[in-house]
Amino acid sequence: MAEQVVEGSQPVDLAKHPSGIVPTLQNIVSTVNLDCKLDLKAIALQARNAEYNPKASVIMRIREPKTTALIFASGKMVCTGAKSEQQSKLAARKYARIIQKLGFPAKFKDFKIQNIVGSCDVKFPIRLEGLAYSHGAFSSYEPELFPGLIYRMKQPKIVLLIFVSGKIVLTGAKVRDETYTAFENIYPVLTEFRKNQQ
Amino acid sequence: MSKSTSCTRCKSKSLVRDDVTGHLVCEICGLLQEFDSFEAHFGGITGPQGTFVRLGTAGTGSTFNYKEKKIYDAQKLIDDLVYRLGLSGSKSNDVKSMVATITEGEYGQGHWFTIFVGACAYVVMRKDNKSLPMAEVSSVIGSDEFELGRMIQRIVEFLNLKRLDDYPEFDILNSFETALRNSRSFAGVGEEDKERMRKQGIFLIQCMVKWSLTTGRRPLPLVVAVLAFVGKLNEVAVKIEDAAKEFHAKVYTSKVRYRELLEALVKVAQALPWGKDVTVKNIMKNAPFVIQYMEKKSMSKPGEKEKRDLESLRLDLEDVVGDCLRKCLDYGKDLVYEEDDSSYFKVYSDEKSGLLSGDDVKKFTLSPECLSMVYAKVSNEVGNVKSGKEGRDVHGRERMVFDFRVCTEWWNGESELSKKLLLKQILEKDVGLEALPPSFVAGCKVYEKRREKINAANRRINRIMFPLNADLDDNSNISCKEISHPRKKRKSTKVDVISWEDLIIETLLLHKVKEEEIEKGHYNTLMDLHVFNSGIVPDTPARLQEW
Repeated sequence: MAEQVVEGSQPVDLAKHPSGIVPTLQNIVSTVNLDCKLDLKAIALQARNAEYNPKASVIMRIREPKTTALIFASGKMVCTGAKSEQQSKLAARKYARIIQKLGFPAKFKDFKIQNIVGSCDVKFPIRLEGLAYSHGAFSSYEPELFPGLIYRMKQPKIVLLIFVSGKIVLTGAKVRDETYTAFENIYPVLTEFRKNQQ
Repeated sequence: MSKSTSCTRCKSKSLVRDDVTGHLVCEICGLLQEFDSFEAHFGGITGPQGTFVRLGTAGTGSTFNYKEKKIYDAQKLIDDLVYRLGLSGSKSNDVKSMVATITEGEYGQGHWFTIFVGACAYVVMRKDNKSLPMAEVSSVIGSDEFELGRMIQRIVEFLNLKRLDDYPEFDILNSFETALRNSRSFAGVGEEDKERMRKQGIFLIQCMVKWSLTTGRRPLPLVVAVLAFVGKLNEVAVKIEDAAKEFHAKVYTSKVRYRELLEALVKVAQALPWGKDVTVKNIMKNAPFVIQYMEKKSMSKPGEKEKRDLESLRLDLEDVVGDCLRKCLDYGKDLVYEEDDSSYFKVYSDEKSGLLSGDDVKKFTLSPECLSMVYAKVSNEVGNVKSGKEGRDVHGRERMVFDFRVCTEWWNGESELSKKLLLKQILEKDVGLEALPPSFVAGCKVYEKRREKINAANRRINRIMFPLNADLDDNSNISCKEISHPRKKRKSTKVDVISWEDLIIETLLLHKVKEEEIEKGHYNTLMDLHVFNSGIVPDTPARLQEW
């Protein structure tokens, strides 16, 4: 797992982030296998913080780390809403412990970060039309459907949502470095299509 | 059908079809098989020849099997949709061939197929750079716009339409032209006037492209806004609500775009000598001058800008002021007669607008004497108009009377911006205003607001941590007044109102979070990472990794 970096309290490492901007991680989605069959109704009835979802899963929430988990009868669990990998793992463990306390022989197998969503602001407006024109192979800009430009980067395989206001959303990473690399890759392109006030 | 392959009595499979009647007959037992008439004859054996196709029925009389029926239905659906979308014959064929290609001749049934046909129609039209907005297609096929959009994306990916030549971007100008051509509100307008309005609309839309009012925005509300604006400008009664409904745009968004257009024009109008008096409310009356100014600006070549700036400006202002004064009579009702009319003669030295500065004023050839002479003449004329006011309706209100002839005079349509230009060319043109995208500007304001809050929080913290120094800082009580909610103004004029946001900012500052990070406004994330600190746990020993 990537080394824990708490954004916001340390100076930006310019070697790692030449742009001087570090995307903020907004959501981490992880999965874990509790390796036991679960009685979802029993969980929903016993746990205060659980609600039964008709799609054959239980939604459980905890306040610290503030996350939400989807628990399936097969014993698989999806944990969302954490702000760092460690938080996500800690939350998943907490959920597993709750399940254990409800009397199920829950284990903690195959924990995996499935998706990392980050966002940042380049603080200059971007000419999306120009970007879509010159990077047509990677971009999809359909203002009829969505205000942002969807940029599908091949390496690392990350999807970026680029907005005219200069705000960027990066999604699809399995490790946070992929998010950072993708942003460093796109930053020079964005500066090229910066809209200047003449 | 499997029953018909064997005789119902002897179960023999040797069935033959009678040449005369077309019925199946068992060769072994001679039984005439029921319910499998190949052909139905009208009027007995002497009736007309040919096959009677009964669709939608099984058994007797139907010669179409499932697949044929499916294809027939599908083609009927395509014809119907294409007709309702108003596509021409060749386009209809293109849609059909696209559907056939993608489905490999299988076509389809069900709701998805309707969406699929709609998506194909959209792609065919867009490939040919013709206007067919998604909203229109979705309203015709009765589906969600996003569902249609997803299908379009899939088609585009399947056909590998990556290049801009194959699949050009949605053309807002085409959309405007089509809207103007087909709009019910403009039905009674003559061709010549329509052509002028078309040029004006294209000019305005391209200006909006330049001002980033189109980027990342749905095109249709913008088209409706420009349509309404051009309509009003040319005295055509167009209601935004009606136009929005007609062209499947959201009314509220159309109104917002309309207002944005007006606000942009007001900003441009600041370059005019009476610019300070121009507001969103009276911009419609000043629009001819503003647009004329923009038009002239756009005609100046960027390379010659430096040299010709003063010269052209002089001419521009002569024209514009001259026009204005000449038309005061016609727009008499609309002009704001300020007590201090001399403001109209002022030539502002506004460096920001790039209009006139320093020595430029000296070179300004319209002498004050000349202007005051013109003004005296005009004020006399206006006085005459005032004395004999005719433009009143039965309720005593002044009617908005535009002389249509006058409306057309200011527009010459010679600017290249009245023709369709490439984005690059549009960006190179100068129309008297360089605006940044509204979302970016809003973002900057939010950042500023947060910065103020951070500074205020810092001052509050310092006041508590260093009470001795607090007296020195007289301004320590400020900020809360600034940040207090306007609605609470009456209650909290002198009381510090600290919102939840201030408290969060304080907490984050006390946890040594960088101010630049707080400025971004991701409070939840920062609180989770720094305050609750739940993410930072000591490394779990390997043996405890799996319970």
